[in-house]
Amino acid sequence: MPIPINDAAFEYLLARAGLTLTDAEKAELKTVCDGITEMAQRVRKPRGRMAEPALTYGFAEEDLS
Amino acid sequence: MSAAIPTIAEAARQIAAKELSPVELTKACLERVHALDGELHAFVHLTEERALAEARAAETAIMANGPSGPLHGIPIGLKDIVDTKGIPTTCQSKLLQDNIPDSDATCAEKLAAAGTVLMGKLTTHEFADGGPSFDLPQPPARNPWNTDHFTAGSSSGTGAGVAAGMILCGIGTDTGGSIRGPAALCGIAGLKPTYGLVSRAGVAPAAFSLDHIGPMAWNAEDCAIMLQALAGHDPRDPASADRPIQDYTAALGGGIKGLKIGIIHHFHETDRKVSDGTQHGINAAIATFRGLGAEIREVQLSPLQDWHACGSLISIVERATAYEEWARTRLHDFGERMRTRLMLGTFVSGVDYVQAVRRRRELRDELKAAMADLDVVLTAVFAAEAPKIDDVPQWDVFHEPGFMMPFNVAGYPAMSVCSGFGAGGLPVAIQLVGKPFQEATVLRIADAFEKATPFRNRRPTAA
Repeated sequence: MPIPINDAAFEYLLARAGLTLTDAEKAELKTVCDGITEMAQRVRKPRGRMAEPALTYGFAEEDLS
Repeated sequence: MSAAIPTIAEAARQIAAKELSPVELTKACLERVHALDGELHAFVHLTEERALAEARAAETAIMANGPSGPLHGIPIGLKDIVDTKGIPTTCQSKLLQDNIPDSDATCAEKLAAAGTVLMGKLTTHEFADGGPSFDLPQPPARNPWNTDHFTAGSSSGTGAGVAAGMILCGIGTDTGGSIRGPAALCGIAGLKPTYGLVSRAGVAPAAFSLDHIGPMAWNAEDCAIMLQALAGHDPRDPASADRPIQDYTAALGGGIKGLKIGIIHHFHETDRKVSDGTQHGINAAIATFRGLGAEIREVQLSPLQDWHACGSLISIVERATAYEEWARTRLHDFGERMRTRLMLGTFVSGVDYVQAVRRRRELRDELKAAMADLDVVLTAVFAAEAPKIDDVPQWDVFHEPGFMMPFNVAGYPAMSVCSGFGAGGLPVAIQLVGKPFQEATVLRIADAFEKATPFRNRRPTAA
């Protein structure tokens, strides 16, 4: 089960993102926090520290000239 | 309306034989725009004078030297997130109402070089968000099969415009289904190519690593003709692939006997059950493919919800990144829907994002292994026929997993092909997914299906 976000954490995240929202927007946004948390849990699998992300930088020929 | 609407291939043959004038073709398309677009809203900016001038120039050149290729003199439209030199490119946003680019996007440049006639800029939802939105500078496009219904988004104007015969083809962009979705609900063909095959340069980003540019047209053959003009390496796009381009039309008509098609049954039968009409279209398509000599196999992948979560997290973060500066300074100049999408970025941590990108590698490897002995896989595009435009949920990203996002996550080529008509006479579609850079195979199978079924013979009544 996702841990519900508290008001202080919610306000901190908005301030950090630099977003100025109306009270109505804040209320609506709170309703979908759990959805984000569920998606974040779903992408976590037991994969260990060595698992690489999909976007790993590699040198192309043109980088070497 | 007036005469039958030709496909690109039909028009090109008639133009080459001097049986059809690009000027007359363009005028016929303009006539449809004037008759229908007051209700369909496919265009945000019509370039009528320019279109007629380009058509006259094409006609003169063709009369003198013959057509330069199959797109010479063909009326097209460009989604309004594609930069066009000297023509407004608003991204359907209040933030860009006065934006007139000083150069063309690569895809616009390539289609112009192929001799196309630009009819104008096509409706999207703000910065290619899926929509629908009702608080943007212009209204959302309506579905030509029933104007009470949604076109899907975000290449909504391209879907409506092609289906209604206002243009013969157009550019769509696809971050989680924005080519294939409108193609499916508007009953046309739409191909999201392999990531990197078609340049993104000059096209407003939605999510950098998921964005694709591709053709939308009446059928697979026309998509093949368009893709031939669009594909190719572009140093302006850092993700552009530098590799040989296939001949996309050469393989058409070659039959599909012996090709191997994998069905991802659990996506559309268990993970998210589709409507009876959509399922019937899938079942009938499988029977058609079997009848054409293809081998049908079953494919098992991770649940659709895993793909959806992975793609959605990446999309949310990359979109919020692209538009962070405006979100901080002009948030309330965005429409409500885009604004809410940008807010979501607040709640995804950096670690969440990288875990999603690690999951992306696993999912892509899984698809690669599953397709090792297959030519394409097949699933649904949408769960049902087009919903009423007023019934689309605001938070659809959390509503149900989509069938298209998996192939943005993987970057594999994926195509929507009309597979019949369901409830209310609205189109349904199948999705064909190929291996990376094997668009020719996807198009060949789609073309064989279209030629074996009657669905390309029916246009919306309005057209």
